[in-house]
Amino acid sequence: MTALRAEWIKLWSVRSTRLALGAAVAFAVGLGVADTVAAVRGWDTMPAADRAAFDPLASAFAGLTFAQLALGVLGVLAVTSEYSSGTIIATLIAQPRRSVAFAAKAGTLLGVALVAGETLAFGSYLLGQAILHGKHLDIGLGAPGVLRSVVSAGLYLCVVTMVGFGLGALLRHPAGATAALIAVVFLAYGAAKALEVWSYLPSRLLLSNAGDVVAQVHAVAAKPRLPSLGLAYLDLALYLLAALGLGAWRSARDA
Amino acid sequence: MRPGGRTVGDMIEVQQLTKRYGPRTAVEDLTFSVRPGSVTGFLGPNGAGKSTTIRMLLALTTPTSGRALVNGRPYQNLRQPLREVGALVDTAGPHGGRTAYRHLHWLAASNGLDRRRVDEALDRTGLTGVAGRRVRGFSLGMRQRLGIAAALLGDPPTLVLDEPVNGLDPEGVHWIRALMRGLAGEGRTILVSSHLISELALAADRLLVIGGGRLLADDTVEAFSRGHATLEDAYFACTAGAVAYRSGGVR
Repeated sequence: MTALRAEWIKLWSVRSTRLALGAAVAFAVGLGVADTVAAVRGWDTMPAADRAAFDPLASAFAGLTFAQLALGVLGVLAVTSEYSSGTIIATLIAQPRRSVAFAAKAGTLLGVALVAGETLAFGSYLLGQAILHGKHLDIGLGAPGVLRSVVSAGLYLCVVTMVGFGLGALLRHPAGATAALIAVVFLAYGAAKALEVWSYLPSRLLLSNAGDVVAQVHAVAAKPRLPSLGLAYLDLALYLLAALGLGAWRSARDA
Repeated sequence: MRPGGRTVGDMIEVQQLTKRYGPRTAVEDLTFSVRPGSVTGFLGPNGAGKSTTIRMLLALTTPTSGRALVNGRPYQNLRQPLREVGALVDTAGPHGGRTAYRHLHWLAASNGLDRRRVDEALDRTGLTGVAGRRVRGFSLGMRQRLGIAAALLGDPPTLVLDEPVNGLDPEGVHWIRALMRGLAGEGRTILVSSHLISELALAADRLLVIGGGRLLADDTVEAFSRGHATLEDAYFACTAGAVAYRSGGVR
């Protein structure tokens, strides 16, 4: 418990935490509103096929694509700042059991990331629906799949944060871990797409594709390059476990 | 937690401690103990293995063989280590964006220490006035004081200070010397490493001299310098065979 309290104080006593969360909110709100307003404006001239495929959550969640980067960087900084400043030595002097020190740090960030992710997801949803309401395109949380999609969007943001954290713990360097995070979240998309001639598996295992699938209301079974809903959740779990596992393994080594 | 109430024994015990990095031996078969109620200077040339020994004592580095005990236990077995050992290690830098107060606050919280301890440590190191400032703007001397404040946080009976006078101005050097003498006078165990012989001549009661990772001397300052004009002469005579970097010498 004392280790968790220490990590909590650490997390909130540096400016980067509030800056990253502020950036995430700004991206989520700004781009979500812009994309939803654009969708509403274009609705009257939208072809019937596009109207049929319209996902009332997709435009509201448009900002989350960028917000995830801010959250991932929050995860990176939460751990790499300790290595670049030397605070990790103070941490290990105060808590010599490395597994406890790592678990406390990971647990604290996981809690914050989950609350931040869900807040952003529900905030984006509510804001988007308020705008769509003008065209009566909004969809209630009670409609099939909506609550699950919104909750899952928040869950995905939490996983991205923890992937940033895991990469930070593994590489111990802010620039290197941020580059790796961008590679995993954004650049891997192109790489997996290039391999689709041979196999859809890389695309199905992609973190961002899993995020898209779990946050969509409409079924996506028609697209073989995307994971099924079940596989998408499994993907998220695997990324979370891999991030925490690699971080824990590395943090057991000499600092 | 007054140290006076404890059974008097050796608070720091190092037994056949060895650390090898590949073919290089940093510390070899080091055995010594540090007694309470005195300031023990840990002296040796650069690269002698002082910092490696202190890192092993604090469980920051895993020994190749042998062991280091604090209050009879390996450091990693201490549940609230700040209450038992106060450590100053120059690599344990506070985050530049955090205020001095918050740095001490999280440390205190990690060992279940009352917030009042933070104020007391700030007061004892003269940092109360700058507690709300970000560490980034601190001078080397202020950082050093903050490191000492962190070491004093848990009111520990044992203190391990690695090069505490680094970066301190003359007033600061005087202050840390008086602080160490005072802490030893309260019955605490103080192990202080330095490469500044003159400083240890003034501050220490006993000396541990290492060179090339081996223990060269373990004696009182008085006995160590006997037969030599100065402590410095005694030191050079003692370390002559173990110095890696002296001009004309081979590594």
